[in-house]
Amino acid sequence: MDSTFIYIAKNLNYDYPGGISALRQICFKIGAGELVALVGANGSGKSTLLKLLDGLLFPTAGELQAFGMKLSESVLETGNRAAEFRRRVGFVFQDPDVQLFSPTVWDEVTFGPLQLGISKDEVISRANEALALLNIGSLRERPPYLLSGGEKKKVSLACVLSLRPQVLLLDEPTTGLDPWSQGNLIDFLLQWADKDKVLVFSTQDLDVVEEIATRVIVMGAGHDIVADGKPEEFLSDSDFLLRNNLVHEHSHRHKELVHRHPHLHEHRHEH
Amino acid sequence: MTGGGFLARNIAGFTQALESVLVTENLCRISGFMQSLDPRVKAVTLLIFIIFVGLAQDFPVLIAIFILALVLVLLSKIPVAFFLKRLFIFIPVFTAVIAIPAIFITPGTPLVIIAGQAVITAQGARTAGLLIMRVVDSLSLGLLLIFTTPWTKFLVALRWLRLPSLIVDVLGMTYRYIFLLLHTTNSMFLARQSRTIGGFSGAENRRWLGRALATTMVKSQYLSEEVYLAMLSRGYQGEIRTLNELSLRSRDFIWMAFTLVAVSLMFWSIYR
Amino acid sequence: MYVVSAPFWYVAVQRVRKVLTHRTVPALALFSAFTFILMMFNIPLPGGTTGHAVGGTLVAIILGPWAAVLSVSVVLAIQALLFGDGGLTTFGANCFNMAVVLPMVGYFIYKVISGNSDINSARRLAGTIVGSYFGIIAAALVAGLELGLQPLLFHAADGTPLYAPYSLNIAIPAMAIGHLAIAGPAEAIVTGLVFFYLQKSHSAFLSRQASQKDEGKLWFVWAGALVVLAFATPLGLLASGTAWAEWGANELKEILGYIPQGLGRMSGIWHAPLPDYTIPTIGNIAGYILSALIGIAVVGFLLWMLGRWISRKKRIKQNPTSTGVS
Repeated sequence: MDSTFIYIAKNLNYDYPGGISALRQICFKIGAGELVALVGANGSGKSTLLKLLDGLLFPTAGELQAFGMKLSESVLETGNRAAEFRRRVGFVFQDPDVQLFSPTVWDEVTFGPLQLGISKDEVISRANEALALLNIGSLRERPPYLLSGGEKKKVSLACVLSLRPQVLLLDEPTTGLDPWSQGNLIDFLLQWADKDKVLVFSTQDLDVVEEIATRVIVMGAGHDIVADGKPEEFLSDSDFLLRNNLVHEHSHRHKELVHRHPHLHEHRHEH
Repeated sequence: MTGGGFLARNIAGFTQALESVLVTENLCRISGFMQSLDPRVKAVTLLIFIIFVGLAQDFPVLIAIFILALVLVLLSKIPVAFFLKRLFIFIPVFTAVIAIPAIFITPGTPLVIIAGQAVITAQGARTAGLLIMRVVDSLSLGLLLIFTTPWTKFLVALRWLRLPSLIVDVLGMTYRYIFLLLHTTNSMFLARQSRTIGGFSGAENRRWLGRALATTMVKSQYLSEEVYLAMLSRGYQGEIRTLNELSLRSRDFIWMAFTLVAVSLMFWSIYR
Repeated sequence: MYVVSAPFWYVAVQRVRKVLTHRTVPALALFSAFTFILMMFNIPLPGGTTGHAVGGTLVAIILGPWAAVLSVSVVLAIQALLFGDGGLTTFGANCFNMAVVLPMVGYFIYKVISGNSDINSARRLAGTIVGSYFGIIAAALVAGLELGLQPLLFHAADGTPLYAPYSLNIAIPAMAIGHLAIAGPAEAIVTGLVFFYLQKSHSAFLSRQASQKDEGKLWFVWAGALVVLAFATPLGLLASGTAWAEWGANELKEILGYIPQGLGRMSGIWHAPLPDYTIPTIGNIAGYILSALIGIAVVGFLLWMLGRWISRKKRIKQNPTSTGVS
């Protein structure tokens, strides 16, 4: 067992209860300090993979190890190992109405640490810390239905941060955010990351990938991994991007000529 | 009732429900007397008063309780007009339905004879009067509790009263998701309304309602599974642990003492 | 009423926990939220009136009877506390009638009719329609029983009823008739339609729920007891003829002819002003109770007036010389 890696996936397969395949022969190793972007078209299995990484689903074939321990239903049933795992890994669902199931923001942010048996004083200080980190202390008594979309996303993140996790799994964190909030989130994540932590996030926005990720895993239409490596390796390969449905194509007509080009961005930063 | 009426009525219903809840929540945040009491104390003492509303056999006790309720409304800075309006919206129909017929039906000594047929008896009038007062009293006390206790505090009181945690957890979560479903259902209705020109027939509306409800049910079920995963992900192991920060203060003790005195008085008044 | 409901609640919690285990809280919560919404709907009924449904039988069919008991109780509790319109004081009785009697009886009849047929069959659909209809009738009858017993149990020294003044003879038939006409069809229509569309468009969901649902071994004992409770008294009253006091079978037929029509017209009139009273009131138990009470009052009053008119006619026949004002 390689205990230097945080996650080791060996030939992971996952099938939905009906028998439909969601993931096929997934293999990778993720170590501390990595910021991994999972990209792929809708339906390629990104959310499912994230849930597997959080021990919410278990592979129908193959093996997934986290922190040197094999993830299975029995391991995560109850007990100290389960609690320890839950503390170390935080998952932010894409839909805030799934993530935010408590009556108020305060209840939500204190939920995680409380379930893990942390002392009340510690819970309160952690909750305050998480709220402060994202600048949402004023939302403390609000019920989720009185939050705006952006606020919901912030609370979703805060209620996971109060766990002080080592691993952050985010399902489409920037989808639906306005550019300003998006920028804030990206800055925050970059600040949060360090050599001991792991960030895995799924996205369809290649700009975000460019700004955060140290590594990209590309999921293909066949529910397998088609590419795994540094972002620079693929992001300029427009053929590759097109083939895997990561960008769309524009068509222009100039008289008899049809000019096609993929929709790519080029960033110019001012430092 | 045409199709357009059906949609409009339901949309109005949803919006009104939402507004009503928001108004209530706002009242709970005013810094008045009852709002500042511990929810457990409030629940228990008001319950005791409601029991006496049931036990009372004559008017004095019932009227006294109503006056007490009004005083508390004032002390809690709840707009009296609003309170009375909420109280008496329900009463007239109830009165018409139960109390007035009782006036005529109850056998006894006649008081007034109307149109040579219907007789109002003394006993009937008394029955009706008692009934009305009882309803007014219990409603007043109930409204007092509702207008001064935010939902979450109320749940804490229930937990303390040893209600099974399953029930309290479900109550809390149901409350939270009612708003989501209210919102999505309202959107469904609005969407349909925007496509209505001539209105739909009753049968069409019923079928649409059936489809809409079926879809909502399936979606709710799917949502519940995802929520379960979200809870699991943050350490849920079957019972939600909460902070439960409640402590009694001097005013709670004062109120409890007052209740004790009032109860003794009522007891003596009823059973002497 | 809490005393009577308590054993049901206790068993329900045990059973539901066993079946749903850890998923209980979110599953019940979302289903209760769904039921809450369902109860709020204003449903157009054939004939131009509108009604409200409870949906207890529907939940029982999808999640099982015990889950339905808990779900409807939760909804009633939230309605009582949220809208503060009297549901608080009648909570115990409402719970027993709508959260215990309604789903259990409804489910009982559903099972009796659908037997082992396939979940997507027409027989199942018929089971849901008939089951839900009689589920709510049973609830109404039990409510009538509760109301009718009050004058017997609680009265002051001079005979004045302290609470509801209607005796069993009036309360039960009044509740029954009021519901046969409006609440019953509303419930049956909604339950039937939703189940129909579940069969049509979401049959995978339906099959999955059917296989996961668990009723427990003795549910039919509990449900059976409730069926007896609900239907025995009214049937007994009818059989013994005391339901209509001194009126005989002919008068009974005359009265039954008038009442449904009268009720129909009255209900049309009544439902119009009611929606103006904070619609939340209509969308929940208060509305339900109101229509029930209206049923009682209207029927009771009509019955009483007709009874007097008829017995006066009788007396005039017997004593042609008397001008009799009784």
